[in-house]
Amino acid sequence: MAAPEIHHLFHNPIADHSFSPDKSTLAVARDSNVELYQKSGAKFSLTDELKGHEKTVTGVDIAPNSGRIVTCSQDRNAYVWERTSSGWKPTLVLLRINRAATFVRWSPSEQKFAVGSGARVIAVCYFEEENDWWISKHLKKPIRSTITTLAWHPNSVLLAAGSTDSHARVFSSFIKGVDTRPEPSAWGERLPFNTVCGEFLNDSAGWIHGVSFSPSGNALAFTGHDSSITVVYPSAPEQPPRAMLNVTTRLLPFTSLIWNGENEIIAAGHDCEPYRLRGDENGWQLTGTMENKTGPGAGTAREESALHMFRQMDLKGQTQADIQLKSTHQNTISTVRVYEETDGILRRFSTSGVDGRVVVWTI
Amino acid sequence: MAQLNYRTINIDVLDPDASINFPMDTLLPATLPAATTSSAAAAVAGEVRQLLRGGDPAAALRHVLATAPLGGDERAKEVHLAAVTEVLQGIRQAEVSRVLEEVCAGADGGAERADCLMKYLYKGMASPVAGGAQSPRKSVSPQSTGFSQIQGRNLGEGGGGQQMSVLLSWHEKLVELVGTGSIVRVMTDRRTV
Repeated sequence: MAAPEIHHLFHNPIADHSFSPDKSTLAVARDSNVELYQKSGAKFSLTDELKGHEKTVTGVDIAPNSGRIVTCSQDRNAYVWERTSSGWKPTLVLLRINRAATFVRWSPSEQKFAVGSGARVIAVCYFEEENDWWISKHLKKPIRSTITTLAWHPNSVLLAAGSTDSHARVFSSFIKGVDTRPEPSAWGERLPFNTVCGEFLNDSAGWIHGVSFSPSGNALAFTGHDSSITVVYPSAPEQPPRAMLNVTTRLLPFTSLIWNGENEIIAAGHDCEPYRLRGDENGWQLTGTMENKTGPGAGTAREESALHMFRQMDLKGQTQADIQLKSTHQNTISTVRVYEETDGILRRFSTSGVDGRVVVWTI
Repeated sequence: MAQLNYRTINIDVLDPDASINFPMDTLLPATLPAATTSSAAAAVAGEVRQLLRGGDPAAALRHVLATAPLGGDERAKEVHLAAVTEVLQGIRQAEVSRVLEEVCAGADGGAERADCLMKYLYKGMASPVAGGAQSPRKSVSPQSTGFSQIQGRNLGEGGGGQQMSVLLSWHEKLVELVGTGSIVRVMTDRRTV
């Protein structure tokens, strides 16, 4: 495994990050702005700022094909940014929510995006040609609390949502005229808007922090504040799932997770390093960290000169300041995203966290 | 005309969407066992005492954790807490690691038993110690302010301090074995003990 590529952008938390498909542009949510970084050589340098939100930006996503950027914020708004000759131009989206927007993701088709919110609704937004603006339809029932995270099924109709009411749910976000009728799957056959295709709760409950569909879309994984990861294999529409496997861990809770093929999950969170889980329908287990602890990231215990040692003892009363974590990230990882993949098999993935770092990991 | 002080009305109670009206029972999984009664809990306590006296502390701990009244009423939970505390106190310090290894590390639901034990450790540390150290301290807080740190918290004297040190040493050993994840689950889990 090659050493991770570390980009320490600033000393603020990164709520969310997104790479453009050619990986030359990196968008990160910093306070109430979104900053765009361009790759120059091995480094990313700040080139543009998307200013418009009045409160903390909670989500940012770059559409891979159209290059449009969608952002959402605690000011209850979402903007779609389009590149014009005079810079990035925002279009306000009519979310119709009265609480903070918490999470945003483009659907794979890029015709829609979904915004989670504290108003106990998910706004599914699409472009209306006649009026020339983005409008939204609300997924409401049976959400009982804030939506914390969302993930799209590859068919762009099914949407997984995690909530602070401890449930992970799968909804249909089918919009007539925008979506093509999806193939029937184990999640459902007829899928009118707001069909609840699944509702899952762990034994030990806990706010849901991360959800993700497997590359085929036939399995769902979610993780919550109970430090566990649950994988659900649906059987048939309206039926209880074929298997629901819960892996409790001895770690701090995970905040985000992605699939690598159908038999591996990568999750990261409050323990500041990504972990790998392997399994199938018969059982899942945590196989270990992806951190290469013998690498340069941990190599802070260098040989010190005697002069340096005594100087440190004199200045600080200790020979070595133990202020660095052994991990690459120095604080909670908040987002894990796919960076490079072929047919659902990951080659690289990226993480961003509270420490202001964006790290690209090679598997 | 009735004098109604509108400023003291708790309007959140009247709003079905307010967080105060959140249906907490929706956080309970469907697998929750049926409610047990305090007499059933007392019967379990008897069995456990017998196992403990028979010189099999691991079996006693295993049994008392397996029969935790997750769906029981408050009285049953109290009786069961007393039984668990008795088991924990009945196991010698030197044996703690071995017993934990046996009870909590197995593949047959060992993780659930560990989480359950962790819940009891926190509950034991949170609840006032029965009998000792309680009554004389009642008068420390002159008026009932609704929030007092002093009442019910034992300050390391008398019998309570001893129980607390037992719980703390179990806690230390258990965290060593099952990590911080188990502590987090005590906080999220609505299947309280």
